[in-house]
Amino acid sequence: MPASTVSERQGGGVRPLHFSGIQVDHRDGDGRLFRVLDVSDFVVPPGALIGLRGPSGSGKTSLLHLAAGFFLPDAGSISWGDLVVSTMPGAARDRWRRDTVGFVFQDFHLVPELDVLANITLPASFSGWRQTSEQEARATTLAGRMGLTDLRRRAAVLSRGEQQRVAIARALFNAPALILADEPTASLDPVHAAEVGSLLVEVAKESGATLLCASHDPVLLARMQQVGMIGDGPFQLKAAA
Amino acid sequence: MNPLPMIIADLRALRWTAAAIVALVALAVAIGVAIGAQERALRQASARAADDFDLLIGAPGSQTQLVMSAIYLQPEALPLVDGRLLNELVRDPRVAAVAPLAFGDIARGHPVIGTTLAFAGRWGRVQPSEGRLFSREGEAVLGADVTYGLGDKIEPSHAIAGHWPRRGVADAEEASHRHEGHAYVAVGRLPRLGSPFDRAILVPVESVWEVHGLGNGHAGEGAALGPPFDGQRIPGVPALVVKPKAVADAYALRARYRQGGTMAFFPAEVLVGLYRTLGDVGQVLSVASVLNAVLILAAIFLLLVAVTGLRRRRYAVLRALGAPPAYVLLVVWIGMAGLVAAGCLVGLGLGAAATLAVSGLFEAQTGLRLSFALGSAELAQVGLILLLGSLAALIPAALSYRGSITAGLRG
Repeated sequence: MPASTVSERQGGGVRPLHFSGIQVDHRDGDGRLFRVLDVSDFVVPPGALIGLRGPSGSGKTSLLHLAAGFFLPDAGSISWGDLVVSTMPGAARDRWRRDTVGFVFQDFHLVPELDVLANITLPASFSGWRQTSEQEARATTLAGRMGLTDLRRRAAVLSRGEQQRVAIARALFNAPALILADEPTASLDPVHAAEVGSLLVEVAKESGATLLCASHDPVLLARMQQVGMIGDGPFQLKAAA
Repeated sequence: MNPLPMIIADLRALRWTAAAIVALVALAVAIGVAIGAQERALRQASARAADDFDLLIGAPGSQTQLVMSAIYLQPEALPLVDGRLLNELVRDPRVAAVAPLAFGDIARGHPVIGTTLAFAGRWGRVQPSEGRLFSREGEAVLGADVTYGLGDKIEPSHAIAGHWPRRGVADAEEASHRHEGHAYVAVGRLPRLGSPFDRAILVPVESVWEVHGLGNGHAGEGAALGPPFDGQRIPGVPALVVKPKAVADAYALRARYRQGGTMAFFPAEVLVGLYRTLGDVGQVLSVASVLNAVLILAAIFLLLVAVTGLRRRRYAVLRALGAPPAYVLLVVWIGMAGLVAAGCLVGLGLGAAATLAVSGLFEAQTGLRLSFALGSAELAQVGLILLLGSLAALIPAALSYRGSITAGLRG
């Protein structure tokens, strides 16, 4: 059973993600501006699997955060199809994110006091008072797809590999059209990293969602269709090895 | 939206901090409630105890001391008023009833009070819960808490200044001052009055005079108890309780007996003075308790801000997952306001328990029964703490959703 389908998506279908003239500046300790990110034009086609590679501090995470609408660029725009995310008011951007984006963090960021099921269905509590039976069934299916059998275990007692599986299931719960993963295997041992990386790519393919994944993990990046290079000259896309 | 799962998760994660916040709020509330409720209960109980004492007449001296001795039965040697005054007052058309109060004896630590049948029945207001009122010399009627039983023989002793006997126990000091050859028989028991008279033994005043070798105030043997007293010699008594026929009569009697070697006053006058002092003390304590509550709330506020700061990443993750700002605000605010509310509830319970405990100790000391009741002032104070706590919790709640998601995720 696929992890999600187009009909389940609340935010509409998968669309191209377009970064145009993006510039992000920060200030250093002396108050001087320095450029963190400079992407003149980057289009992610619908349903594409794109890796992002670059040294630490090169702006991979910033690019993912921009894509999710966590913050706005100093220059340029981010569009999702014909929606210009970077000009949306905050509340609309929150709603768009809730309906469109699934985010997988390097450190999972589960709620340790909640069990597996409650962590996966957490996004449902943002918009509804009660969980529907369909939502529970979907969470159970996702958990099964991730190889999680005991849904009543608290997140605090899961292994790191299990935690990242729960985090991926949570990211997929709203059937997102855009999956953003920030070094999803970085804090896992090689065996778990391979399993989790494989699962992430598989479920993205099954659901037809676009996957944008920042990673240093060559095995994971090799599973992508293309890899964007950041921080080493101008941003450029290359075919995955 | 349903922030409850996250609120419960937050409270589980912060269980020790949450317990500390509840305990601090409960302490602030309990202190305020206990002070307010105790002061009011003391006023009500002391006023209730003075209900049947419209006008007191005694020998010139301290009005407060006479009130403490005649109404609250605190032992003290008092000068006596001439017994002939009893007959004068009985004949006075402005007087509905008059009764002497003769104290100075004890039995098993209970004060023995000589009075009239009318006053023993509180001017007809009170009927014995067991047996009957005394009808001849040598009989006694017991207060509700007196440790004698009906039919028991009661041997009175002189109370000695400075000797504070334990209730229900005839100690060696009491035994050494016994009125040998004199005894009362308990014939009845009064219902609970909630006053020091609950632990007193009431006997005919004639018997008290007889025990002290002063005759019985009547001319011949076999005279009916109570006034008029037609004996050659009518012994003096420490206090006279007068029930005037009308308010105007009360003022006229007070004016009349404020001169000529007597002192007359309404016990309420003394109580008002005492309440004023009590009120001043209560106000000081109330202000102290409010300041205490403000300090505790300030400490809690800082704790909440610090805790919210520590949980910045958690709330940033919620935002990153698509939670609207209102969701994050409710998670933080309801959680914290809930802790303050729980503290208020626990504090009310603690305040009630503290008041009851203090009331028990006070009753054991004085016989005054203080009944606990929450007043509007205490409820308003608790409501204010709840309101201020909830408003204060809005600040960390607002801080938690207004911050940058990216900065929050960095921790």
